[in-house]
Amino acid sequence: MENLIEIKNLTKKYGDLKAVDNISLSVEEGQLFGLLGPNGSGKTTMIKLMTGQLKPTEGNINVMGTDVLAHSVEVRELVGIIPEQETPPSFLTAEEYLHFVANIRKLDEIEARCNKWFDLLDFRNEKEVLCKDLSRGTRQKIMFAQAFIHEPKLAFIDEPLINLDPVIQKKVKDYLAEFVKNKGTIFLSTHVLQIAEEICTKIGIIYKGNIIHEGSIKELQEKNQHLEDFFLKLVKEKNK
Amino acid sequence: MFELLKNMIKEEWRIYASFFGNVNFALFSFMMVLLSFGASLFIPVFQILMPLEQIALIVHYMFVLFGLSTGAFGLFGREVMNRRFGQASLLAYSSRSLPVSERKIFLNFFIKDIIYYFFLWILPFITGYFLASKIFSINAGSALLLLLTTTLSFMIGLSVAFFLSTIYVHSKKLLYVIIFFSAAVLLTASNHTVLGFFELLPSFSFFFHPSVDNLISSLFIIIILSAISVFFLKIDYPQNKRKFKNSFKSLSIRLKSSKYNYFISKDILDLNRSEGGIGKIIFSFLFPMAIIWVFILIFSKFIPELNFLIVFSIFLGIISSTIYNWLTEYDLFNSYSFLPVRVSTLIKSKVDGYMLINIVPLILLILVSLGTKQYAYFFSALFCFLSISLYSLSINIYLAGLHPNIMLCNPWTLLKYLFSIFPILLILIFMSIINHIYLIISLVLIPVSFYIIKAGCKKWDNKKQISF
Repeated sequence: MENLIEIKNLTKKYGDLKAVDNISLSVEEGQLFGLLGPNGSGKTTMIKLMTGQLKPTEGNINVMGTDVLAHSVEVRELVGIIPEQETPPSFLTAEEYLHFVANIRKLDEIEARCNKWFDLLDFRNEKEVLCKDLSRGTRQKIMFAQAFIHEPKLAFIDEPLINLDPVIQKKVKDYLAEFVKNKGTIFLSTHVLQIAEEICTKIGIIYKGNIIHEGSIKELQEKNQHLEDFFLKLVKEKNK
Repeated sequence: MFELLKNMIKEEWRIYASFFGNVNFALFSFMMVLLSFGASLFIPVFQILMPLEQIALIVHYMFVLFGLSTGAFGLFGREVMNRRFGQASLLAYSSRSLPVSERKIFLNFFIKDIIYYFFLWILPFITGYFLASKIFSINAGSALLLLLTTTLSFMIGLSVAFFLSTIYVHSKKLLYVIIFFSAAVLLTASNHTVLGFFELLPSFSFFFHPSVDNLISSLFIIIILSAISVFFLKIDYPQNKRKFKNSFKSLSIRLKSSKYNYFISKDILDLNRSEGGIGKIIFSFLFPMAIIWVFILIFSKFIPELNFLIVFSIFLGIISSTIYNWLTEYDLFNSYSFLPVRVSTLIKSKVDGYMLINIVPLILLILVSLGTKQYAYFFSALFCFLSISLYSLSINIYLAGLHPNIMLCNPWTLLKYLFSIFPILLILIFMSIINHIYLIISLVLIPVSFYIIKAGCKKWDNKKQISF
């Protein structure tokens, strides 16, 4: 399988603080890679670096054969991104925002694409409501839809199920599983270990800017280890 | 009560200090001292041209204008702040989460503005004048008295803005009627009548005739207007979800002539659906223009060579650049950073939007030239307006990128802005005195502006954007 993400010796410093410290990593096509770590461990910084939203201090990042540092906009044309905190602009409705994103991405058949997501994530009734008046859950649905509206081969998702109710969480998980089954690739960051255990094929554990473990969920299951116990043990050891 | 006020002041300081650092932001006041010091050195020159009363009138109205813009931004900018900091994070919205009434918060907000801007602007301004008067023996009246009367002028401007916004909340139609009636009076009344009316400003009268009566008149206006604003305070926290049919799609089609039609459509919807609607852009340059009108009347009374329409068009061009400030207020680059969008793309889209909305000041220029019957000067004024408007925009873009309202609070950026704009402005005014036909040269500023915009786009593409 081809590597869709290749990272070599990646470092990001904020003053004296190393948010990401000399990380090398690769993600193959068709993988659902979960980057796990406690709050402030460098997960969001990693996603921002891989999608060209931040410039690294050192190192190389290649996404879908494109050098991120030299061609960040081109990379963002190819991939879909759900950021951790950002919400859709306040004064557009849900429908208008998806039209706006579709226009930026120069897509055709915009109505059909929007309709697909209204139905899939069940927010057709709220498509005419201003984004600022929507619940956090619905805003997260919109962010999910905008990331997949152009049917990318690779998506970066920061905390995917946050604010979603259990019914929609199930739908999203099913969608991601189907997406990966059809050779799509996901790079997901979360601190909710249960999600990672349920849907990821491979995980990386990041702690204080370093990858302290990389492997498949299957390996853990074969060793009869729960991800939660494994994670807590690893973090405790590093904390000593 | 005091705790809330203290924290509101801290909050206001930290919003800006977090961008430039405490020291850099503190230098803003120091810059005000220097600018005022430099300007005060010209008082003897101005005194040759016009009486001291007229100079003082201009200074007092500058502070009224400052109070008006502070108040207008504090209220119309509520949603801007909401977008930036989230609904719950500013003390101005704490009535939702704390046991504090909205009236109490509003009153604190009003007092906070007075204290905060007194130390940030008014005191440094008067200090600059005081230093110049001591060093160069300039005597234009007591600095202490000027400090009091300019503070009163600022408070009058602030309370007028709050009063008008109270009317707006209760009846938009009434506010529009008041504004357009005032504009009509200004356009049709004789210069003498207009000036006479503006000279009634009690804080200005108090400067020349310090009497208890004049002090009471100033305080009376401030207290009455702010008391009405507090008493009739109405804050709408919409309970219902606001729904709209997809206007974005039709608007984008209508604006198809621009490459950035969907960005412009989004900006127009943002402005139209946010508090104050599209009207807030119009008022944000109508108010300053009304005050500048008075300044020009004063100057042209003593320098008859000054052509009213030409000078008006030059200032209209500068004030029009505030349209760009509004266009950049409702989004942060954070909202686009995960999409295939460059900073320069956003800037270019704002330039297109700016040109579109510039039709409004253009209409104002046409109305003023009709009102003043200075038809012979119309084309020179038009050239000046177009050139200066585009030039101010380009300087704004180059120095402040997508955040003019924040970046121009950096003292160094503000200084660069002033030094880029004012010499051009003075040259154009001087040329208009020689012969207004020469103003055709101002069109040179158009290609220069496009070059600066291009350089600005390149600069901001390579810089990390402000995030909150």
